[in-house]
Amino acid sequence: MTAETPSVFRRFALAALILLLVAVALMAVLTSNRDPGTLLNIFTTRFLGIFLEAAPFLLLGALASGLIDSFVRPDDIARLMPRNPAIATVVGAFMGFIFPVCECGVVPVVRRLYTKGLPISVGVTFLLAAPVINPVVLVSTYVAYGFGPVLIGRFVITIVVAIIIGLIFAVAARPRDVLRASTLAMIPPPVVAGGSPEASASDIIPIYTRAPRKPLGVGLRDAMGTAADDFFDMGRYLIIGSMLAAAMQTFIPQEAMATLGSGPVTSVLVMQALAFLLSVCSTVDAFLSLAFVNTFTPGSIMAFLTFGPMVDIKSMLMFAGVFKPRVVAYLIILPFLLTLLIGVWINLNVPL
Amino acid sequence: MTAVAEHVHDHEHHDHARERRMAWAKTAILIGLGLYFVYNIVSGNLSNYINLRFGWLSYVAAGLFFLMGGFSAYTLIRSRGQHTHAHDHDNHLHPAPSWGMIAIVALPLVLGTLVPSQPLGVEAVSAIDLNAAASQVSNGDATMFTISPENRNVLDWLRVFNQTDDYSTLNNLPVDVIGFVYSEPDFGADQFMTARFTISCCVADANAIGLPVVWANAAALPQGEWVHVRGHMQAGEFRGETTPIVHAETVEVIESPQNPYLYP
Repeated sequence: MTAETPSVFRRFALAALILLLVAVALMAVLTSNRDPGTLLNIFTTRFLGIFLEAAPFLLLGALASGLIDSFVRPDDIARLMPRNPAIATVVGAFMGFIFPVCECGVVPVVRRLYTKGLPISVGVTFLLAAPVINPVVLVSTYVAYGFGPVLIGRFVITIVVAIIIGLIFAVAARPRDVLRASTLAMIPPPVVAGGSPEASASDIIPIYTRAPRKPLGVGLRDAMGTAADDFFDMGRYLIIGSMLAAAMQTFIPQEAMATLGSGPVTSVLVMQALAFLLSVCSTVDAFLSLAFVNTFTPGSIMAFLTFGPMVDIKSMLMFAGVFKPRVVAYLIILPFLLTLLIGVWINLNVPL
Repeated sequence: MTAVAEHVHDHEHHDHARERRMAWAKTAILIGLGLYFVYNIVSGNLSNYINLRFGWLSYVAAGLFFLMGGFSAYTLIRSRGQHTHAHDHDNHLHPAPSWGMIAIVALPLVLGTLVPSQPLGVEAVSAIDLNAAASQVSNGDATMFTISPENRNVLDWLRVFNQTDDYSTLNNLPVDVIGFVYSEPDFGADQFMTARFTISCCVADANAIGLPVVWANAAALPQGEWVHVRGHMQAGEFRGETTPIVHAETVEVIESPQNPYLYP
C-alpha cells in the first residue's frame, strides 16, 4: 500500500533479508553436529508456530485497513481533531483506537490529513503512536504476553515517546520546514479566520472538500480487495521475519544468543536493529519477539516492541515521500534514542 | 497519485493475462491457507504449534481466509473477459504484485505440507538448568499446593519446589508424571530428567523444564522417549545441588501425548 515507496529499495531490502536468512541457515547446518533433517523440523515447527499465531491478527489488521480505506475519509479524522495543538497532540496519540492502522497504513493517512490542514505535531504523534495504540495490537500483545509489564510498558512507552516527539515538532516546526514540496502543494489555500490580516498559520481553518462516500456494496468490495492485497504485502514481511527469528533460535547456539542478548546496551541495539530491518507489521511483531524472550534482556524486548512499530525500513521509505530528508532523519533518530534510553533504563533498574 | 494510478492501470492493461494469473495464484493461496488452518484444527496438529487457549483464533483465521479467497475468486470469475480492475485505491496503492511476493506468502503452505508436523522434542533442548527453570515457573501461586501430589505435572512440581524452603517436607510424597527423557553426559548413571516444554503463546517461546529422577536403569532409557514415571519425592544431590528428586518405582515408555506442551 505504498505508492511512495521506491520499489527498488524494497526489493533490495527484501533480497538482503533473504540472503541473511540463507546465510544463517547455511552457517548453522555446516557448523552444527545435529542432523540437518531434525534441524529443519525444529525450524519449521517454530516458524509455523509464529505464523499460525500471527495470521489471524494480520488478517484482522488487513481487514480493518481495507474498511478504513473504503469508508473513512481523512476529512472525518481531521474534523474530529481538537483545535488546540497541545490537546490535539495528545489526542493524536490515541486516534489509532478509532482508526486501527499499522505502520504501513498510517503514512498515507497522515499525508492526506496534512493536506486537510492537520497540525504537523498532531500528525507526527499519530504517525508514531497509531501502529501500537490500536485494538488489534492490544489483543495480539495480550495473546503473546498476557496482561502484565510487557503489555502495559509497550503502550505507555509508545504514548510517551510519540507525545514527546509530537510536542518537539509543535514547538519547533512549521509545515514548510517539515513537508516535502509535493505534499505542501496539496494543501488547499488557507482561509483565514475572521479575515484578520494579522492571522497566522495557526488560524487556518482548513476547507474540507468532502469526497463522496462510497455506497456500501462497492465499499465492501473494495475493502475486501484491499485487505487481500494488504495481506500479501504485509504477509511477506511477517513470513521472512518469522523465518529469520526461527532460524536464529534454531541454528544459533543458545549460549551465543544469550551472549548477544545479555548486555544491557548491546542487547537493546541488536533488537532495535532487528526491528528496523525486519519491518514486521506491528499487529504481529509481538509473536516474533517471543523467539527472543528466553535469551534477550527485557529492555531489549521492550525496545523491539516500541521502536519497530515507529520506524523500520518500510516506514522510513514512506516517510521520505511525505517529509523533508532532515525531518525523516529526526523521525528516525528521536524514536531510536528515546526507546534506546528507555530500554537501557529498564535493563539497569528493573529487576528480572 | 493519479499519475501513479494511471501508470499502474496502463501496466495492467498491457499485461492483463499475467495479472489474472497472479490474481488466481493469490486466490489459491488464500483458500489453501484456509484449508491448512482447518486441517490443523481437525487433525489436532494445532497443539504442536500454539497454546490451545488461543485455538479459537485459528477458526477466525480460517474463516477470514475463506472469505477473502472466496471473494477474490468470485470477482475474478465475474470479471472474466473484461479489462477491469478488481478495485481501485485512494490512499492505498500497493506495489505491483510480483511472483516473488506470492512465492514468499506460499512458503508456510509449502513447509506445512512437505515437512511432517511434529512437536518440539528433545533435539530442541539446548540445556535444562534447574534454577533457570525455577525463575521461569515462579509466576505460579500457592494454589499449586492444593493439587494433590499424584496429580501434579512437571511444571506444578517445579513451582512447588520454588515455594518450598525446606525440601525435606516434600519427602515421600507420591509422584506420577509424564515427560520425555532428557540426560546429559554429566548426569549420574542412574539419573535422568523427565522433561516437558512449556509454551505461553506459541512454540517460539517454548522453554524446556525438567524434574530430576533416580532410576536404576536410567542409562538404558532412550533420549527423547516419552515415559510415565511413578515414584516418590526424596531430597538429594543432583549435579552438585540439593533438590527434591523423584525416586522412581516404575518407568514405563509411552506414546507421546496428544498435547505435548504444558501451559504456564
